[in-house]
Amino acid sequence: MRLVVNGAEHSIDSPPLTPLLHVLREELRLTGAKAGCQHGSCGTCTVLVDGEPRRSCLTAVAAVEGAEVTTVEALGDPSRLADVQVAFDEHYAAQCGFCTSGMLLGAAALIARTGRPVEREEVVEALGGHYCRCTGYVKIVDAVVAASRGERLGAMAPSTLEIRGTAS
Amino acid sequence: MKAVGASLPRYDGVAHVTGRSRFVDDVSVPGMLWAKALRSPVPAARIRRLDTTRAEAMPGVHAVITHEDVPQNVVGHQEVWGIPPDEPLLAVDEVRFVGQLIAVVAAESEGQALAAAQAIDLELEERAPFLDMRKAWDSDQPQVTPDGNVFFYYPDQPQRQIRKGDIAAAFAAADVIVEGVYRPGAIEQAPAEPAAALAIPGTDGRVTIHSTSQALYYSMDITARHLRMPMGRLKFVGGTVGGGFGGKIDTKTEPVTAVLALKAQRPVKWRHTREEEMLCSTTRAAWHIEIADAVTNDGWILGRKTLTLHDAGAYMMTSAYACSKHSFHLAGAYSIPAVAFNTFVVMTNHVPTAAMRGFGVTSASFAVETHMNRIAEVLGLDPWELRLKNANRVGDTSPSRVVYGNPSTVSTLLAAAEAAEIELDDELRAMTNAKRAGSLLPAHLMPQQGEPEMHPLAWRDGRPALEGGR
Repeated sequence: MRLVVNGAEHSIDSPPLTPLLHVLREELRLTGAKAGCQHGSCGTCTVLVDGEPRRSCLTAVAAVEGAEVTTVEALGDPSRLADVQVAFDEHYAAQCGFCTSGMLLGAAALIARTGRPVEREEVVEALGGHYCRCTGYVKIVDAVVAASRGERLGAMAPSTLEIRGTAS
Repeated sequence: MKAVGASLPRYDGVAHVTGRSRFVDDVSVPGMLWAKALRSPVPAARIRRLDTTRAEAMPGVHAVITHEDVPQNVVGHQEVWGIPPDEPLLAVDEVRFVGQLIAVVAAESEGQALAAAQAIDLELEERAPFLDMRKAWDSDQPQVTPDGNVFFYYPDQPQRQIRKGDIAAAFAAADVIVEGVYRPGAIEQAPAEPAAALAIPGTDGRVTIHSTSQALYYSMDITARHLRMPMGRLKFVGGTVGGGFGGKIDTKTEPVTAVLALKAQRPVKWRHTREEEMLCSTTRAAWHIEIADAVTNDGWILGRKTLTLHDAGAYMMTSAYACSKHSFHLAGAYSIPAVAFNTFVVMTNHVPTAAMRGFGVTSASFAVETHMNRIAEVLGLDPWELRLKNANRVGDTSPSRVVYGNPSTVSTLLAAAEAAEIELDDELRAMTNAKRAGSLLPAHLMPQQGEPEMHPLAWRDGRPALEGGR
């Protein structure tokens, strides 16, 4: 079985009914998608399949053979963050960070699908299946709205980075 | 002062948004085994037979542990405060709650470990469970512990008790007695990340443990005591925690994986399933709180009696501490010159209860604030006026006789009223946190004197414990 993940083709050894989440985490060692409940209830395992958000814990790997799978690892790296990643960082939308990967992919799919600045209600609707037990939803919605508008706060001024350096 | 008031980037912000933060389940090492547990299917039973022979011979199995493998099986979570240890890491001859750990297997795969755990030969003799804390004193009820269903703080005294002022005089002087019963239920902390641990045995006898603990050194201490090892032989790796909310103070996965790893001489990872998190991990306790207040028609609280039952579940965990904290807060943010509080730790066959966000205090606040509304309703008074009159001022004393030097209750209430767009009378709006005077210093609040009758925590044999009373 062959699987395209983040643009790279992989030959998969796991049995066909193995959840995509396990193939990503255990076989391909891509640990961005998280195993929060493995019941399709919490959203932490969300990845994009041909651009659409999917619960990878409920998706058999055989069902996505030949499709393009995108995980958080492909959104951007620290030197080249995507808008939605910058917004989550700037708006403190990631608290414990465990739901963040799934939230980011759900948000990225919403922004890509609408192609315009989104309303708060649209974000709540699109991310309604994502559970943030730290209850940081307001900041998450703030971040997605800002990302859809291409807004950047530029909060990381040199003075604050200096403090980050002296604290370590 | 570069940081105060500045909007600083989170040190872990970029790692979180790129999926690079390494949570415990994201860490894998070569040769790693997987753990799965055999847990009690019933709330109360004697263990008649526990035989792991068949499981040990199953494919992929490297180690099976029972209580016999744990160097110090029974370790308390509050021994430092003088509460005797009572909870075994792995059940010995009985189980007291659904999901209690009995044995754990380490195997090459999670599937093999699960199959082996299910192949363990377990024979139980079921007992009737004790589940309703209100029946703790009924002689016909099942007994959860050999010492009964109520924990004794002192050899002669089961309750956490606080006394202040002349409670009989307060109730004799009351215009009205207002009573209420409040029963906040149990709550699962439910962090997004299930508890997990990865223990890696070193060639030098040391063990490295990747832990989801939200209290790393606390968990390290508990693990060291289970292993009878000095802490210097343990290396705990943590700090990236996918939510805890109190539930990740409990320390089970760390000692279990360490015992398995030392027996198998291989790294062992154990991650709870969501079912284990919901069914078997500690919860916030359920409470039963009865309040009777002696009040005057013009809205002064002269005295308060309370009876609280705390459903500790099957083992003590942090319940004695929670009930102390609860008792200290039963006057809420209000000045009550005479109190008689009795709080009982009741042992039941529910899952053990422990920390969750202000545990002990939230139940008191819920009961007290709901009761304040009830008093206002009974007296036909404005609940804001009732709260503002009785709110703690400079010089007022708490039930445990802490003198408030800088209370903020009045200013907090006024800010809340403003935020809620409540129109208050000028007289109320002019109130401050300052010392009581004039009409805000009625006769019953003048002599807030006398020592509360509190005792230091003690072991059941009467030895004084480390934590003193006042």
